[in-house]
Amino acid sequence: MANKRIRTAGPVGKTIAYAVMLLFTLLTVVPIIWLFYSSFKTHGQIVQAPLPPTLEPTFSNYVEAWTVGNLGTYLLNSIIYTGVATTATVFLGLSVGYGFAKFRYRISKILIGFFMIGLLITVHSVIVPLFIIETRIGLANTRLGVIIPYIAFGLPLAVYLGMAYIRSMPDSIMESARIDGAGYLAIFRRIIVPMSAPVMTTITILTFISHWNEFVFVFVLTSGERLRSLPVGINAFAGTLVNNFGLQFAALVIGIVPMILFYLFFHRQMKQGFAEGAVKV
Amino acid sequence: MTDASLKRWSYTALVLPGVLIYAAVIVIPIFYSLGLSFTEWSGFGAPEFVGFDNYTTIFSDPVFLHGLRNNLLIVAVSVLGQIPIGFVLAYVLYRRMVKGRDFFETMIFLPITISAVVVAILWDRIFSPWGLFTALVRDITANPDWIMTISENRQLAIVPILFVILWRYIGIYMIIYLANLQKIDSSMIEAAVLDGASESQILTRVILPSMLTVLFYTSILAISGSLKSFDLIFAMTAGGPAHYTEVVSIYMYNNTFTFNKWGVGNAVSIVIVLLSVGLITVVRSLFGRVTRRYGWEE
Repeated sequence: MANKRIRTAGPVGKTIAYAVMLLFTLLTVVPIIWLFYSSFKTHGQIVQAPLPPTLEPTFSNYVEAWTVGNLGTYLLNSIIYTGVATTATVFLGLSVGYGFAKFRYRISKILIGFFMIGLLITVHSVIVPLFIIETRIGLANTRLGVIIPYIAFGLPLAVYLGMAYIRSMPDSIMESARIDGAGYLAIFRRIIVPMSAPVMTTITILTFISHWNEFVFVFVLTSGERLRSLPVGINAFAGTLVNNFGLQFAALVIGIVPMILFYLFFHRQMKQGFAEGAVKV
Repeated sequence: MTDASLKRWSYTALVLPGVLIYAAVIVIPIFYSLGLSFTEWSGFGAPEFVGFDNYTTIFSDPVFLHGLRNNLLIVAVSVLGQIPIGFVLAYVLYRRMVKGRDFFETMIFLPITISAVVVAILWDRIFSPWGLFTALVRDITANPDWIMTISENRQLAIVPILFVILWRYIGIYMIIYLANLQKIDSSMIEAAVLDGASESQILTRVILPSMLTVLFYTSILAISGSLKSFDLIFAMTAGGPAHYTEVVSIYMYNNTFTFNKWGVGNAVSIVIVLLSVGLITVVRSLFGRVTRRYGWEE
């Protein structure tokens, strides 16, 4: 690595570097730690002495948050929305990517540009008309009404990543499969998909994170508790709990635990996915 | 079936589903929105054509203009804060100035995985009179009654939000820059070292030019991200108090769903699209100019 050739920073530089890194790490981690140990306090304890953790933890906060806050339903909905949308996005990203990468049709160029514009469009540009359209055709307040927009917004990046990856696959593999009489869709199923594990991982991770934490679509396109996802549910429940911080914090912790677990196990892949997603773009 | 028509069918089968979903959700609504933006509609009955009235209403509404100002502040903080700080952190890690790189990376990236809503509520509590920040300030300044009053100031109420946005997204930029720094061809750097270049020279003459494309794309990421910030602000202040922290996306939400002015809401939608395209075009031309002027063409 070239780093060994450049003079390593002197002791002053190193101290400043450590200080900077430590500062940002503390800045990042301390709020979360505070959240965590405060969730075991009662409201009175938090208000009187916000700083120190408690030696008598109150577990009822969690029980109450789960039951009263209906967090089980919200968790289930989040899993459904994220799971279905992410799976669909991955496969569509690969199939469209395969079409663009290996079928040399001129129309692909137009369609690619079409998709890339999507990277610039924000949710807010479409949420109002989408709400109107979905209400008109009866999709509002349904799970599908949330999942389809999720897929659509995940597609530009998924297609881009899939296309770039498949493009790098040698044509000879597909050609010999054609000679053996395989149809294109069979090639997709039996060759492209199995060989695309790395890019599938990247797309999965990126879309998973964005869908899991998504707020606006579910908030606008659904109403009532039955279809709420975790972020919307937590906003509705915890956002209004101005009189019981302990309970509120417990709800927040429940809200972030799935993601934090996911992060602890997959952080390497997550960071790689983000870096790749941006590098390719 | 001939080879050619099999190929055409397969292409259609592979590409059409994605294209249809995308067109239905993104392309059609934007055109629909454009149409509706020229009407007045309460959500019931038929829309009434009013030409550009909605647009003039929006641009003469002080609430909208204040929201726009807030959005631009967010863009500025993102581009001038997150990007340089992210780069500095990435550079420190890249140059191995500290041990335990993985640990620092993991910790600083963590906030991005937490949903914006949780971040918003958490920080709102931290800044509240019973929160972590307040308690710390009270300890440090020995003033037991200190509370944060910045949200009562129309111009500055957005500052806490700017801070939280910075907090949340620095990790992404750090990771992206770190990955790209590691991709720089080491032979270029070795050559520069052999030529006797100092660290700052290597930084400005070798490293930064190679990062230009990434800096460009992350600026775009920052800009479109800032124009999107709805979730966090909505959950933290809902644009309050008294519209002090409102941003354009919340203005759109209020007009549409609270005041039932759907024509206006759609007009704001279109303005947001134009805004993002406009800002990105500006960034693109800026980068083009910088590249040409310093001869850093790739």
